[in-house]
Amino acid sequence: MEFFKKTLDPVVALAAIAVLDIFMFVSLGAWTVGGGETMMTGLAAQAVLGAETLQRLPFWQLVFQPDPTYWKIYISLGMLTGGLLGALLSKEFRWRAPRRLTDWVLITIGGLMMGIGIRLAFVCNVSTFFGLTPEMNLGGYLSITGIVAGAWVGSLIYKKILEG
Amino acid sequence: MSAIGQCLLAFFFGTIVGLLVQRSRFCNTAALRDAMLFKSYRNTKALLVAMIILTIGFTGFISIGEGNPMSFDVGLNQIIGLFIFGIGMVLAGACTVSTWVKSGEGDVGAMWALLFTFIGMFLYSMLWSANYWPPAPASMTGAPNLEALQFGHANAKTLQERFGIPAIVFGIGQALVLVAIYRAILRKERQQQSGT
Repeated sequence: MEFFKKTLDPVVALAAIAVLDIFMFVSLGAWTVGGGETMMTGLAAQAVLGAETLQRLPFWQLVFQPDPTYWKIYISLGMLTGGLLGALLSKEFRWRAPRRLTDWVLITIGGLMMGIGIRLAFVCNVSTFFGLTPEMNLGGYLSITGIVAGAWVGSLIYKKILEG
Repeated sequence: MSAIGQCLLAFFFGTIVGLLVQRSRFCNTAALRDAMLFKSYRNTKALLVAMIILTIGFTGFISIGEGNPMSFDVGLNQIIGLFIFGIGMVLAGACTVSTWVKSGEGDVGAMWALLFTFIGMFLYSMLWSANYWPPAPASMTGAPNLEALQFGHANAKTLQERFGIPAIVFGIGQALVLVAIYRAILRKERQQQSGT
């Protein structure tokens, strides 16, 4: 099938995603990612630590009560499945891992910062660009300001590392 | 819609998104990083096109009383949180979407980034449990709360209610700004091509 042989133009892909996202907006709510991950974190922590221990942290009662039927979890699991399907059908699936220690350190720090940032802001990059801003939510404009400034600082650090 | 129906719809949507992102190699991190560092706009243009379509679509449905816009108080935490997130996504080389999609492609680095995103979220849940900031959704009122550095809630729906002007009018205004940015990028690309 041609779809799995050639790289798709991202403009076409994102236009299709936008149309689907409008359908989601009308049915459930716009595309978002961070909420699903937070719920997965809560469910994983509950499985490891036990419900009683987790309840000692008010966050997991007042902000996110672990609930496996939270629909946003399944958007993320769907993206994983879609990525896997696309890679398998296009014969692009292969196990790979960063080779340099620097990359592992950067990914670790970057991952931690993404997790902390999402929870502090209540939103991630997806909600910023594909939810809040198109809804003309004030939070979208505040988030864009933050993410552009952050990406700029991150790019400077990244450039230094590339050059160094 | 039942909870199971919601989960199935979300999974279907996510799967199509994952497939399209995998086949197009779209990356939100690259949309910002590559534009800033390398003056390359392949992903930035895709991001803008999606935002233009979404702005018209969302505000159009809001105008006729349809849709489910997000509703929560916003404040300084959005700027600080996304600033931290923005640095993190460039360092990790992936955003929330590409970590899932690349994990599906067998990228162990992306799986590692996801794991530490979860750990970061858990660490923040501990911090929040000590200072209760930003305010929990249940205590949000929609009005500014400067003591908690919150500006309240405003979106196309509240603009429509406040001014009696259909949300789509504001949406068209925003879409035109996005189109202007898109055209500026096309001009820049033409200049780059003529300069080589």
